[in-house]
Amino acid sequence: MTAVIRTQGLSKWYGNVLGLSDVTLEIGAGITGLLGPNGAGKSTFMKLVTGQLKPSLGRVEILDRPVWNNTALFARIGFCPEQDAFYDELTGGEFVTRLLELQGFSRAEAEERAGKALRFVELAAEKDRLLRGYSRGMRQRLKIAQTIAHDPDILILDEPLNGLDPLSKRKIIRLIRDLRDAGRTILVSSHVLPEIEALTRSIVLLHHGKILAQGDVPYIRELIDKHPHKVAVTCADPRTLAAGLLGQPSVLNVQFGPEAGTVVFETRDRDAFFGRLTRLIAEGAQDVEEITSPDDNLQAVFDYLVGT
Amino acid sequence: MPIAEQGYTHWGGRFVERRVPWGPITRLGVRMAFKRKFFKLAFALSFMPAVVFAAGIYVSERLEDFQFMFKGRPGSTSFLEVNPLYFKSYFAGDFLLFMLVMMMVLGGAGLIADDLRSNSLQLYFARPIRKRDYLAGKLATAGAFVLLFTLAPGVLFILLKIVFAGSFKILTAYPWIPAAVVLDSLLLATFFSAYTLLISSLSKNRRYAAVLLFLGYLFSDLFFGIFYGIFHNPAFCLLSIKANLQQVAAALFRVPPAFDVPWLYSLLVLAAIVAASAAVLARKTRGVEVIK
Amino acid sequence: MNIELKDLRFSYGPVTALDGVDLTLGEGACGLLGPNGAGKSTLLRILLGFLRPDRGEGRVLGYDIRREPFAIRRIVGYMPEDDCLIPGLDAVTFTAYFGELSGMPRQEAMKRAHDVLFYVGLGEARYRSLETYSAGMKQRLKMAQALVHDPKLLFLDEPTSNLDPQGRIEVLELIKDISSKKDIQVLVSSHILTDIEATCSRVVILNRGKVAAEGDLEALKEVRFRLYEIKTAGGEGSFAEALAARGCRVETTEEGLLKVYLPPEMDRRAIFAEAFRRSVQIRTFVRSRTSLEDLFARTVGVD
Repeated sequence: MTAVIRTQGLSKWYGNVLGLSDVTLEIGAGITGLLGPNGAGKSTFMKLVTGQLKPSLGRVEILDRPVWNNTALFARIGFCPEQDAFYDELTGGEFVTRLLELQGFSRAEAEERAGKALRFVELAAEKDRLLRGYSRGMRQRLKIAQTIAHDPDILILDEPLNGLDPLSKRKIIRLIRDLRDAGRTILVSSHVLPEIEALTRSIVLLHHGKILAQGDVPYIRELIDKHPHKVAVTCADPRTLAAGLLGQPSVLNVQFGPEAGTVVFETRDRDAFFGRLTRLIAEGAQDVEEITSPDDNLQAVFDYLVGT
Repeated sequence: MPIAEQGYTHWGGRFVERRVPWGPITRLGVRMAFKRKFFKLAFALSFMPAVVFAAGIYVSERLEDFQFMFKGRPGSTSFLEVNPLYFKSYFAGDFLLFMLVMMMVLGGAGLIADDLRSNSLQLYFARPIRKRDYLAGKLATAGAFVLLFTLAPGVLFILLKIVFAGSFKILTAYPWIPAAVVLDSLLLATFFSAYTLLISSLSKNRRYAAVLLFLGYLFSDLFFGIFYGIFHNPAFCLLSIKANLQQVAAALFRVPPAFDVPWLYSLLVLAAIVAASAAVLARKTRGVEVIK
Repeated sequence: MNIELKDLRFSYGPVTALDGVDLTLGEGACGLLGPNGAGKSTLLRILLGFLRPDRGEGRVLGYDIRREPFAIRRIVGYMPEDDCLIPGLDAVTFTAYFGELSGMPRQEAMKRAHDVLFYVGLGEARYRSLETYSAGMKQRLKMAQALVHDPKLLFLDEPTSNLDPQGRIEVLELIKDISSKKDIQVLVSSHILTDIEATCSRVVILNRGKVAAEGDLEALKEVRFRLYEIKTAGGEGSFAEALAARGCRVETTEEGLLKVYLPPEMDRRAIFAEAFRRSVQIRTFVRSRTSLEDLFARTVGVD
């Protein structure tokens, strides 16, 4: 993977308050999720990557060039901040157009691009309304419009789905996927983990200003030794099923669920376990309704690594 | 049951129909006022006129004992005669009025401004209280402070005079004093609370409202001074909040007013401000806009 | 029935907000969904008695929405979406204050405030000024003030907005716990569909002022034909072919998920038999249901 965004020992303090400490990573094309509890350093990281802050220590580079004060790079980055930062006296159309002009586009081109971006987020009808009158969802869509209007290669999105209704969310998720398919680099930060999961398997987890985990979610899950994999089975006769598996060394724990008909196994050797389970069901002709892995998801990884 | 139930338990109590549903609002308003910076100072200073006037009542009855203070100044003791003018001097005193304004500025500016800023109106109106209860509670917060420094001392002065004089002469000679005390106190309380809430509801920023409150009072008097200085027409006293309050106080205590302008006009000006306040407050607390 | 609404209509001048809403809600948690502008806040305002419907009738826990709005407000707890806390107070004072305003006697309100603050997990922090609270704590305090007067109906507006992952889980747990009490009706309005799925057993979808869909979540998501989503390890290609040969329709998604449509004569046990025969492990086996998101999109009719 060729790194698009690269940091080396990146650190930032605000006075004596820690923002980020010794973050070294590489982010390539595609979608990467940025997660962490509040105060973990996510916004600091994004501000450093977009050149709004200067590192206290270390380096941050995009396409092998340092970001700080690099206006040529800024043209290729699109940033969608979490906060609302609008000039209420402008109209939606004016806002996006002016920002584009700041990017260096001519007035005519800026207007055309603004129109396209607004049409995409379905705000074309409200283009001439003052921002003061925009609802929360509309403001969020406007933020996204200004993020994509100049066609950036790299997108940094901080809670892009915040405040959107489910249909708009769908649309934006599709947009992000389309951008990924077009080869762009996208960094998405969100607290709503299921939404990150819908977008990508590749994450960076920050905690207390440091990288806690990075990479492919299933792979990270595999490495969490302390918590063996859970497998939940719903069937007509869980006890017979469990009896057939108790002899297996791969089965570490068996728990019969609160609802009748469920049983949860714990195992570290999924290969051996599932091999045996499939065989048992096939041979014993057990009628199994459902098999799931309840803690093989991002929320579980987060809880296990960060949780109290 | 050996082990008590943890987790959510129901209350099982009974709701109470308060006679004064907005009592808690006033109580909280008073508490919060005392938390503000310098409010306690203004509060303490506001006692000064009352203390001085109360002492004056004592001195007026024991003039012989205090003759040493007035040596060689004949007729100088007339100001210590406790008559309606004495009362009016207290109720319409520049210092007292100013301190009342300062208490409003320091402790009352945030009464509605803070609720607008913190967006807590939606919590209030999700409760079974009416708009007028909410406003009554807020008005009562400001009003309580004003009454403490007008009605309470007023009644106290009457009692002190009776006690020290040993007779009810004050009441027989000037029977309108008790009514005037009550009416003027209510006038001041109503006006100041309405004025304070009006300004407080105009902004989400408490400090901005405080400045507006202060400047409103100050400038009204300044403009009067300026126009009077230019045109020498006492009618301009209607511009000044302070002068209007003093005119009406004079009328209530039946002493000659400072300016030759009918006191009814002053009362109308004050009433207009109170009406404006009512209109603005009604608008700002419309339930429909409160719940988003 | 806890909420009964019949043919509710309301317009703000020329703009129609509610166009004939019929709704009955019983116990348990119900999700209220809809695009922006669908009429959710108007509905709430009518339920709390701020607006009189132009037409239509309704009862909340037996009280008429037109004639007894105060009685309704006494038994409804409202947790607003945005910030609404009064700075300068500590949590106990804040909660007890609103308890008093709901009509509780002063000492009762104080006692109950403490209980409720412990329940929502703010026990240790309840004497601290609430300006020092984190976002998650503020949400829980909002819930505390909604619960202090022991409401029968709880309306939660975007309860997990702006919360970090841990905060979200905590609030969702609280909601699940409250909804499990038999005599509190919980109405959750949220745009985060996974939260609704985690906490609610029923949903109501509003669109353009009307009820577009309503019912039990499981029933609504039920898919008539037997579609299973299967994840396997080992021998995917041949497994899919084998199943197809047995008469199933098989689709493979890009993430390696197998979607298998089972013909009516075939037993699902046969899938396992086939897997074992080919040394394939079945690692996930789930009856496919419409996702709430798809249900929403289909109901609201736009895509």
